[in-house]
Amino acid sequence: MFSRISYALRETWASFRRNLTLTAAAILTSAVSLLLVGTTFLIQRAFENLLVQWRGDVEMIVFVRSDASAEQIGLIDSVLRSSPTIIDVNKLLYLNKTESYEEAKRIFVGDPVTLSLLTPESIPTQFKVVPLSDDPQLVRSLSDQYRTLPGVEAVALAEDEFQVISTLSNFIRVVTLVMSLVLLAVAVGLIWNTIRTAMFARRREIEVMKLVGATNWFIRVPFMLEGLLQGLLGGVVSCGGLWALNSAWTNGVAGFKPGTGISSLVVPSSYLTSVMFILLGIGAVVGAVGSAIAATRFLDV
Amino acid sequence: MPCAGKLVAMIRLENVTKIYGSETVAVRDASFDIPKSQFVFLVGPSGSGKSTLLRLINRQEQPERGDVWVAGRNINDLPASRVPFLRRSMGNVFQDYKLLLNKTVFENVAFSLEVIGKPRHVIERQVPAVLDLVGLADKQGRFPEQLSGGEQQRVSIARAFVNRPLILLADEPTGNLDPTTSEGIMSLLDRINETGTTVVMATHDHRVVNSMRRRVIQMDHGVIVRDQERGVYE
Repeated sequence: MFSRISYALRETWASFRRNLTLTAAAILTSAVSLLLVGTTFLIQRAFENLLVQWRGDVEMIVFVRSDASAEQIGLIDSVLRSSPTIIDVNKLLYLNKTESYEEAKRIFVGDPVTLSLLTPESIPTQFKVVPLSDDPQLVRSLSDQYRTLPGVEAVALAEDEFQVISTLSNFIRVVTLVMSLVLLAVAVGLIWNTIRTAMFARRREIEVMKLVGATNWFIRVPFMLEGLLQGLLGGVVSCGGLWALNSAWTNGVAGFKPGTGISSLVVPSSYLTSVMFILLGIGAVVGAVGSAIAATRFLDV
Repeated sequence: MPCAGKLVAMIRLENVTKIYGSETVAVRDASFDIPKSQFVFLVGPSGSGKSTLLRLINRQEQPERGDVWVAGRNINDLPASRVPFLRRSMGNVFQDYKLLLNKTVFENVAFSLEVIGKPRHVIERQVPAVLDLVGLADKQGRFPEQLSGGEQQRVSIARAFVNRPLILLADEPTGNLDPTTSEGIMSLLDRINETGTTVVMATHDHRVVNSMRRRVIQMDHGVIVRDQERGVYE
């Protein structure tokens, strides 16, 4: 068993060095495509910070003063429920102070100054409203009516706040996703090609191996390992790139004025770490798949 | 399970026909039995189907019609995953030696044990022994290009025999060698045959066939035209 493993590793390494140019090309392509995949994840997550309070078709938020009494809150709730033809009362959601504070932590992730002004005690609570009606005028007139209720601090409409951002984020998400998928396919192709070249260079050896009775798996494994290693190295390079990109971006937006929203477009480092693991995983799979296809197709020499 | 009759023969062909492409008939309706430990020459001009017969026996090819039996097993219905294990019971020798030029004599022979997963200590015992048998004990560290043709063929025979196969298939092993060197190769194959290994050798070397006086199966245009014990080339 040990002799087989050491054989596979030795062969992988030897072949890796032999095709240095092609190997470098395969690694770089997979690195670039994985970097794009990673960037897509980060952009999506960063935009979610802005959009988190509007998730789930919420189009109106009624903010309630933090010092509002239970009766006032009850009154607002019953007023909201009194228009069941315009408001989807089943989806009506009230966030208490703790829940609102948790949400604020995400909204103001890049804006620690604003966040420090908020405490779980001083934060306004909120009703999230999903309208049934498609008529923006109707929703707007309703919001004017809610503003006058006692205890209401403000009413925010999605229309005013996030339509542009939402459209922008969807657009960027689609573009980066498509680009990264195309590049991933190119990476598979390049890895496939390096493995094919490696197998062609060693066709005589493979012929002898088959004649003396080496199993197909025995012949295939070093090539598959080689592809896996290429994908994995591409993943490592992309992780480095993503880390650098994210640091530059986070430092860059830190200078923006609080409240412009731009400073919310950052991701927590724990999220960055998990994205990096995902990239390493995708890299390994892409490499193994590309080389497995090549190794299987060209084993009939 | 194979029936008892099939067990007698090491190699058995039953009405085997092999067609390349749509109409090139390489072998037509060939049948013969080769008992264990026999030495058989396949003779005939180039393109008469000798090599195809060898390739049918180690399942590099599969016949369009008929059955090939090896050691009592019909190898036509052998699943692809079992083919490597069939090949471990056979050694192959070729006219062009098929040695790996970037490996030494020792490594070339060791390679065939290595890739079937033999442990290091077995390799280190068996390789020098078989190199001694073929008379190359003092050239283990040489590379193929530093050897004469006859020596290279000895390396390839060592590689084919190191795993003690039941069958040795040789395709024109003396095709590139002068008569004196050929004689040496033939006496080596003869010694291997004496250990109980069945040897099937395709050749069109008259001198070799006539001096050995073994069974001769003659092919012409894919058809067996003669099968004779202790034959000559004609």
